[in-house]
Amino acid sequence: MTRNRLYLLFFIALIAGYIYLAYAISQQQMHSTFTPCVFKNATGIACPSCGATRSVLLLAHGNFASAFMLNPFGFIIATIMVIGPFWMLYDFVFKKDTLHLAFQKFEQAVKTKWVAAILILLVVANWIWNINKGL
Amino acid sequence: MDSQKVDLYLMTNAKFFQPQHLNYIRERLLLLDESKWFMIQGIDLKDPTTILIVSIVAGSLGIDRFMIGDTGLGVAKLLTCGGLGIWAIIDWFLIMDLTRQKNMEKLQQLLQ
Repeated sequence: MTRNRLYLLFFIALIAGYIYLAYAISQQQMHSTFTPCVFKNATGIACPSCGATRSVLLLAHGNFASAFMLNPFGFIIATIMVIGPFWMLYDFVFKKDTLHLAFQKFEQAVKTKWVAAILILLVVANWIWNINKGL
Repeated sequence: MDSQKVDLYLMTNAKFFQPQHLNYIRERLLLLDESKWFMIQGIDLKDPTTILIVSIVAGSLGIDRFMIGDTGLGVAKLLTCGGLGIWAIIDWFLIMDLTRQKNMEKLQQLLQ
């Protein structure tokens, strides 16, 4: 993927993420049970990342332990959403491509067999945990 | 390379590439050295139809993106449950062409 394309996609993703987060906060006050997850709506069981929105919202309130118990993915998403804009701004202002290089390194790392195996195991374990919790 | 071999290769593998690239591939293959023939045949090309099926069944987990080698976007898709389902649906229409592009990138490395 080229540098500019990555930055554009990342920018759109961040904006969409924050809009969805604002929407989720406004919904939370009304205790709505709406879920956008296609997988959950189709099969009735939770997907590996179900509960991530609630987890991020709990993190925003400083509730670290219950956020981890709900879905550990929330930590990853929250970290990306907090650091992402600053990192992109840094690259944009100083005309560097550190984010692009980091992304390429990450892609290479994930492609190594044992890293991929560990990550898949973690995701599957989280999925089983999610279904057991009945998210 | 032998034009018979090139035509055979193109006949069996045409579905893996975008139609507009086929002429270019043919020309480059004809210029290529005979010794690269085995390497060309050894490339791991992904079938667009298979990836489309994977995308429809497990698209919201990002598995289609992982399979074509877009691991970074695959992780993003997995974390967001297929971009809240929207990205997963968009990818049903994009993934076949993306697969052909990725195949072309793999072949391009050997053609140069």
